[in-house]
Amino acid sequence: MLDWLLGLIDEAQGAIFEHVLQPALYQLGLMGWSDELFDGVGFALFGALEIVLAYLLLRPLEWWRPVERWSDRRAVRTDVVYSLVNRLGVVPAILFLLLTPIAAMIEGTLRFQGFIPATLEQLIPPLLGWPLVTLLVYVVLIDFAEYWRHRLQHRLPWWWALHSLHHDQRQMTLWADDRNHVLDDVLTSVWRGTIALLIGVAPAEFPLVMIAFRLVENLSHTNVRFRFGWLGTALLVGPQYHRLHHSIEHARAPFDRTMGCNFAVIFPVWDILFGTWRRNREFPRTGVAELAGASVRCGYLRHQLEGLRRLGAELARMTNRRRPGFVAALSRERA
Amino acid sequence: MLAAGVWCAAPATAKNAVILNSDDDSVSIIDTASYKEVSRSYIGRAPHHLMLTPDGQRLIVAVAGGNQLIFIERASGQVVQRLEASDPYQIGFSPDAKWLVATSLRLDRIDIYDGKDYRLVHRLPARRTPSHIGFSPDSSTAYVTLQGSNSLMAIDLASGKPVWNAPVGPQPAGVQVRPSGTVLVGIMGSDHIVEVDPKDGKVLRRIQTGRGAHNFLLSRDGKVLYVTNRVAGSIAALDAETLTVTAVMAAPGGPDDMAWSPDGEELWVTGRWRASVNVIDRAAGTLKATIPVGRSPHGIFVW
Repeated sequence: MLDWLLGLIDEAQGAIFEHVLQPALYQLGLMGWSDELFDGVGFALFGALEIVLAYLLLRPLEWWRPVERWSDRRAVRTDVVYSLVNRLGVVPAILFLLLTPIAAMIEGTLRFQGFIPATLEQLIPPLLGWPLVTLLVYVVLIDFAEYWRHRLQHRLPWWWALHSLHHDQRQMTLWADDRNHVLDDVLTSVWRGTIALLIGVAPAEFPLVMIAFRLVENLSHTNVRFRFGWLGTALLVGPQYHRLHHSIEHARAPFDRTMGCNFAVIFPVWDILFGTWRRNREFPRTGVAELAGASVRCGYLRHQLEGLRRLGAELARMTNRRRPGFVAALSRERA
Repeated sequence: MLAAGVWCAAPATAKNAVILNSDDDSVSIIDTASYKEVSRSYIGRAPHHLMLTPDGQRLIVAVAGGNQLIFIERASGQVVQRLEASDPYQIGFSPDAKWLVATSLRLDRIDIYDGKDYRLVHRLPARRTPSHIGFSPDSSTAYVTLQGSNSLMAIDLASGKPVWNAPVGPQPAGVQVRPSGTVLVGIMGSDHIVEVDPKDGKVLRRIQTGRGAHNFLLSRDGKVLYVTNRVAGSIAALDAETLTVTAVMAAPGGPDDMAWSPDGEELWVTGRWRASVNVIDRAAGTLKATIPVGRSPHGIFVW
């Protein structure tokens, strides 16, 4: 079944590229981008497959045992748009075009100085010939880096201004995973790309690693009353585990945003090791207490602008300490 | 580090085609008699091109993402050596075997190694996307297409210094040096190849072959020159002497690199976008077989 599906994707990727996109590249004088666009088509098709799989596998769970039921699901639709824009490659393509030349320049310069990043197989020769095991080791290493990126997103006020977009959703569903500001996506890409460069992930494999992350991330945002059990909860991030992280009470002491819990993306082991593991059986409401109304329940573009506004307010506060940051400013308006 | 077994199961000694699947990190071995894929195994990250050592005993696989040149012994099919290299994409030996040149397409750089002990002798920047390599008959000069700069660069191998860098056309790819010393370049962003003066890189003439002119292969007797046309999905046969097109054959799926079957009667060509290798009957010019391989098959070598 899986082979058949992957074969179908390969077939579609080849046909679309050969008959539609390659002639277009040729006409536009962009044949030098053939390999990248060919991979991009594969990325978009995989993204479409992810969306279909997520819908078929996780949406029934949301029907079956939802934590919350809403009569008005307009806020969720924005997250569906986020998912489509991200998974079908619009945002990743922009990031790729912006960041790839810079990354190649940095890597090329480093190599001119004699720096060749060792691949994992060179450091651990037994891994050679076991690409799946190697990939798993990469997933663990990148997940470790993701944990700390996530901690910083909550710790640094300006980064939280952007990341609050992800958290302000009060109707958290499987689609909420991609609800991020484009600037936040840029930062994430730079972070992941730097880590990948340092630990020697080949560009061709990076999308595979990302697919593993996305599957778990979709699941962890799903609106379902479901726990993995005491052992499973400690092994893999699930819907209840991550729901605690999105809990609305984290906007208040003692669990304010920086002191929040369950930051891990795939493996809870990082929360266990670094003291941020919160283990209970609750399914709390989600959102950010101070953030509500039209700035939260709005469409994609308005939400993106809202992110810029929050960042601007925070940066203004940083340059002028007397000015309130975006959260404080918003609370005052509402009061 | 040698990790025997990477490709030891395959009978790689006689009448086999070796295909590098660049998106799968694997190597496919195909029996050229039955057109069947005998094995597919992991080789290293992003393998793109491969070639024989000058003594004909070992096959070098350039593994770009894995930063290695992997040497496979012809007789046994075993990996016998792995050399650390920085992002090797295309590789080529000078005719006198004194130099091995490797381009780094992704990192805009060219490395020149000693052809005997593979010691790095020169490393020079080459903006942008240095791709295919050719050599002057006297082995003094290497010609490298800079795909992103629409130019051909001549490099003095002894000093490692660029001699000239001349515009040749949009997204130049394959390089073929004629016995006279003039240089042919496939212009992938257009529908022709160009003949270039080796003295200064000036374009002497253009010969239309088909959209997306990419790479070259000479017939065994040296009389016919074949050119893959990526976008047109065809291969043009040219009189190697006059460079007039004598035939055009269909080769679907983004034809890229070519090789001859052991008897020289079949043209084997990788189809980058369709995960397959096409076998074309040389005399009839017809498609004889399409063999499924891994994703994005690129370099091909037939024992």
